[in-house]
Amino acid sequence: MADVDITSQTMDGMGPHGTKVGLLRVLGPAHVWALGVGIVLVGEYMGWNFAVGKGGAYAALIACWFAGILYSCVAMIDSEVTSTVASAGGQYTQAKHIVGPLMAFNVGLYLVFAYTMLEAANAITAGYLFSVVASMTGHADALDQRPFIILVIMFLAWLNYRGVLATLTFNLVITSIAFLAILVLFLSTSGVIGTGIMEHAALFEGHELPYGWIGVLAAMHFGLWYYLGIEGTTQAAEEVRSPARALPFGTLAGIMTLLIAATLTWYVCSGVLPWEFLGDGVNGSVAPLFDTARLSGSNALIWLLGFGTLFATLASANGCINDASRAWFAMGRDKYLPGWFGAVHPKYRTPYRAIIFLVPIALIFALGAPLDQVITFSILSGLLGYTFMPLNIILFRRRWPLETIKRGYEHPFHPVPAITLLTLCGVTFFAVFLGYGTQLVAMIGFYIVVSLWFHFWRYRFVNRGAQFTMPWPKPRGY
Amino acid sequence: MDLWNWLEYGAWGLSAAFGLHMAVDWLKTDSTYSEDVLTSSREGELEAMAEERKGH
Amino acid sequence: MAHYQPPKQGKASQLFDVVVLVVLTVGALFVPLWMGMAGAAKSVSTPVENPTWETLGQNEAQSAKYEALGYTPETAHDLILARFDYSFSITALLTMIAVILLYYFLILRFSEVEYREVISEKFGE
Repeated sequence: MADVDITSQTMDGMGPHGTKVGLLRVLGPAHVWALGVGIVLVGEYMGWNFAVGKGGAYAALIACWFAGILYSCVAMIDSEVTSTVASAGGQYTQAKHIVGPLMAFNVGLYLVFAYTMLEAANAITAGYLFSVVASMTGHADALDQRPFIILVIMFLAWLNYRGVLATLTFNLVITSIAFLAILVLFLSTSGVIGTGIMEHAALFEGHELPYGWIGVLAAMHFGLWYYLGIEGTTQAAEEVRSPARALPFGTLAGIMTLLIAATLTWYVCSGVLPWEFLGDGVNGSVAPLFDTARLSGSNALIWLLGFGTLFATLASANGCINDASRAWFAMGRDKYLPGWFGAVHPKYRTPYRAIIFLVPIALIFALGAPLDQVITFSILSGLLGYTFMPLNIILFRRRWPLETIKRGYEHPFHPVPAITLLTLCGVTFFAVFLGYGTQLVAMIGFYIVVSLWFHFWRYRFVNRGAQFTMPWPKPRGY
Repeated sequence: MDLWNWLEYGAWGLSAAFGLHMAVDWLKTDSTYSEDVLTSSREGELEAMAEERKGH
Repeated sequence: MAHYQPPKQGKASQLFDVVVLVVLTVGALFVPLWMGMAGAAKSVSTPVENPTWETLGQNEAQSAKYEALGYTPETAHDLILARFDYSFSITALLTMIAVILLYYFLILRFSEVEYREVISEKFGE
């Protein structure tokens, strides 16, 4: 095997362990960026504004930046670990190698649920957008949103089924358009080009912190929504041409893009929309950037942001299908889930059974549950995943200090990011508790039950030593 | 019946078409290839190959 | 040390495992909904009779925006005055903290047991 070219299109996946059909290594750093930002950017177009409702406009900005710090820690930690654990499944595979099998099973489920719920939320939003356009173009009756919700999920699942390169190239195009739409909206309403329509001081007057400081804490719940899903870049690890370089690059470029987009979005929307309207994502502003464009009085901006909103929801649902199916596939391959799911399509080279299986699951949530419930389930799964990350990096550095494994990227100031992340996760747990304490407990109850199920039943089907696949030395302390 | 009613039917139809295409291809693939080939993917291929190249 | 040989899982058993997981998932999502414990509702604590923009606490710039969005003081009344209730009981908070800690303790503990087995098999002791 002396002349193995790991970027070869014909050779890839046909390695020494007997893989006959593996995932295809075709992606570059731009695809990684598109996967990460594509999933998240919808959070700028809808959902983040619940944070305004929770504590007012300033609270939403503080939450935006603190959540930004949280996610910068996530991105740095993730980049370091994943540059050494380059495999489909992302954090699941990390947990398996660093913390242990039961943790890995839980992390895998966090990923699948966070992404499948987010996919359902996106499909619901897309269906709503179609109904708005229908009523704007003079459709008399209420539009039946169901066929459009189903179409979004079916079309994107089909795209994912047919191959990862087309899927993420599609994401790259629509994500770029959605991001540029935010930049254009900012430039044309803030006064950089033409006259500005920003009235921050007058709109905030008398409503600076309507709930006081507890509102700032509460806003952290939806502050996560500005960035939720950026950690999904690691799911592409088995399909990028050079993971050690492309994953840290794509992830860190992604978080920088999002920090810019989130701050601009806050600035533009809070300078045009009164906070009570902006903060009510159900009866008030469902799509705040679109509403801002409406008040700008420019038809071109209305169309641009309308398409931006639709593209953002599609890009997000698309990336979610990609990530959830990779995590499900990776767990099937290791027999954490039935081995049947660990199959790769011989022609399209995608985890096709995982993709198909998750379609009806997404449909159940998209058609059967209310939006805020679905979003909260997604946020909670994400939050449990972020709480795992500091434990992960601390154990990683302890068991394999820097000199024992060469990393593609080493994050600075360890353990400061880990401790910061853990603290911010604690704050966010409290914020979720303020509004959705029951779901939080129900959800953790669910994870406790499935953990027991896994430990006492499911784990018997898993190969013990063989699931540790990285060529690492023995961990310290064992 | 206006445009949007037709679009509703169109969306139902397209959803069914995409779903059917996936289902047919899935069943065809499963019956053409053996389960051994389909589920032969293993984690850590790249690492294993890189190791072998270095002569470990 | 003898390597652990996992049993082969049959089709029916695989299917059963999937059904168990799906039922648990759907349960976790829908049980709080059915029990009516889901969601944080906002409510108006002190309604204003015959509201005007001034009595709703809106200055000129704010009321101009509401009008541009197509609201009148009457239609905007609930939207503007509804507030969340952030009061909570210490018992509920302590329960939540205990549940989270218990959960992490449980998975870290079991993971450690399983992990030791993986490492000793992989690195052969």
